[in-house]
Amino acid sequence: VAKLCACDLLVAQCDVNCCCDPDCSAADFSLFTTCSVPIVTGDSRLCRQKAAVYSLDVEANPPERVFKLTEQVNPSVFCIHATNYKQALSFSSPEMPTPENFDQLLQKFGSATFSAEPDGWNMNPDAPNPSDANETYRYEYGVPIQTVDAFLRLPSPVVSSWCSDANPAGFLVHQATKCTRSVSVENCGNIAAASMLFYINSSILAVKLPWIVFQVNLTVQSVAVQSPNGMRALLNSSDLLRHPVILDELCVNIVLGVSYHITYTDTGEIIEAAASFVLGAINKEALSIQQSFEISFTQVNTAPVPLSGNPGYVVGLPVRAGFKPQGYPFPSIIQSTNKYGQLTILQSTPSQDCLAAQGARSPVLFGYNMISGCKIRITAAMKCQPLAQALLDLLKGQSFPEYVASFGNSQAQDVLDWVPVTHLYTSEQRICNTFQSSCQIPVSLEIEVKWTKYGSLVNPQARIVNVTATTTSTTLKQLPVGRERTIPITSSVVFTDISSPAEPGYKAWPTINAKLPHDFFFPFV
Amino acid sequence: LSSVPLQILLYVNGFYYVFYFLATLAMIVYKSQVFSYPDDFLAPDLALLCVMAALEALRLYLALRFLRGSKGNLTEEEAPLGLSLVVTVGSVILSVYFLTWQTYVLRADVILNAVLLFTYGLESVLQVLAIAAFVG
Repeated sequence: VAKLCACDLLVAQCDVNCCCDPDCSAADFSLFTTCSVPIVTGDSRLCRQKAAVYSLDVEANPPERVFKLTEQVNPSVFCIHATNYKQALSFSSPEMPTPENFDQLLQKFGSATFSAEPDGWNMNPDAPNPSDANETYRYEYGVPIQTVDAFLRLPSPVVSSWCSDANPAGFLVHQATKCTRSVSVENCGNIAAASMLFYINSSILAVKLPWIVFQVNLTVQSVAVQSPNGMRALLNSSDLLRHPVILDELCVNIVLGVSYHITYTDTGEIIEAAASFVLGAINKEALSIQQSFEISFTQVNTAPVPLSGNPGYVVGLPVRAGFKPQGYPFPSIIQSTNKYGQLTILQSTPSQDCLAAQGARSPVLFGYNMISGCKIRITAAMKCQPLAQALLDLLKGQSFPEYVASFGNSQAQDVLDWVPVTHLYTSEQRICNTFQSSCQIPVSLEIEVKWTKYGSLVNPQARIVNVTATTTSTTLKQLPVGRERTIPITSSVVFTDISSPAEPGYKAWPTINAKLPHDFFFPFV
Repeated sequence: LSSVPLQILLYVNGFYYVFYFLATLAMIVYKSQVFSYPDDFLAPDLALLCVMAALEALRLYLALRFLRGSKGNLTEEEAPLGLSLVVTVGSVILSVYFLTWQTYVLRADVILNAVLLFTYGLESVLQVLAIAAFVG
């Protein structure tokens, strides 16, 4: 009873006029006027119970809190002498939600009523079914894209590698398939699936239900012709439909690949559809061709930017990084166009020779700690300064970025969303060399990325907080003529989770925002 | 050779038990209204109270039959009294249940059961003496 306090509402803060709050010090008690909770007891129907009595002694200077532990006796004949039923006199404390039991707790307590019966009696659906009758006409993720007669087909191999035309394309589902189709020169013009018309025949319905008849025609975006040795050439006029014809004992204009590009709005409607073709030719000996199909989706009015997460970083996607050039008209971060070339580290080669590495670099993927290295053979003839510069270039690469995106979807124009890279330089030798002119060459680069979990407990997002690039140098002593030395060079990336534990959040007290109109005192002011 | 104190005690016991039964039943009803008394705990308590009433009736009948004698004669059998003693043991156990192992033990419960146990104790002593006097 001495530890219970009904007025201790704020965690780790002193509540006003709460004499039993353990967070209050004697100085706080001296400022109280009364005790809001004068006595803390258990159930008053018990015959005998302990009671904690709190009072303020106002005569003392400064006022102090008085705490007494007494025993209260209930004089009634019907007081509870003993009970064998544990839950009778106290409330059981509820479970604290953790990421493991959150789903089960939400299922039990997420609805408007909690049932005392075990689960399975009242199947009370906790979340209301989100799809209303009004909304079913929009496309949702995974729903097959409907055309006038059936579905948009993306031929794919089913059991064997032969193409099956019954695979529908799902909305917002990126797919890329390859399959084999049997064609020969004899039935060149007869195979429907080898001609362009087959793929842009029907028009796509903009919305799901057929009674809203908004159709989107499939347009031909580009046509490329692939020659028998594999070289592709883009044709200038891509508005002509080309049919397979026999030309010089070859069957030309056979569809070798189709790539669909669908543009959609954020309300789930398709507004544009385009297809790019790769046509080829087969000769008499060919009995089958391999076709490849792809479909991709772009939201209208956005440029497809390769995000590394939305918003938190996804493990395995490259860390986005860029530069902020000075003197630019508006603050912005410039990124490399190659999404795997933004932040890179040295890539180990089988030969382990640094100078033969030829600039091969591997991208830094979020969440993957990497270490790589090589060996460099130093001869007496090598000069210090060029060697140090070459090693620095080797470790950092051609363009080491200055800023790293804190979220996977940070936009280039939000400069504050980008974290600057901190550079540190340390030396391997502990003792300070008095001869500063000795040669310092960098031997290792360690990039430490500190990230934290951001957002709600049930769906934490990864956010990069700090990036530190530490370059360690060592002193190179001058070698005698003819001698060589091999030094290992290492480069590593470490991701450290510095998330702080989840905290409860308190709402601010509501305030009354009452202001008089400025001309309230009209005649006088 | 009837033991008058035992007879008086048995009659008093009979009246007191009626009062005890009604009071305990009323208090169980009161507890189920005022406190949280789920059915899993209410059913055993009521069942045991009824069992106790049955045992008590049996016990008193057996003891009084020995003392009054059937057909008006003093039948000299110690079997009913011995049986009554055995049944008393059962009643004592049930009384202890209502004293300590009930779901809610109120102060009134404690008082009633204490008096009942005291009465049982006194009766047992007198019954043992009666059997001893009869046998010996």
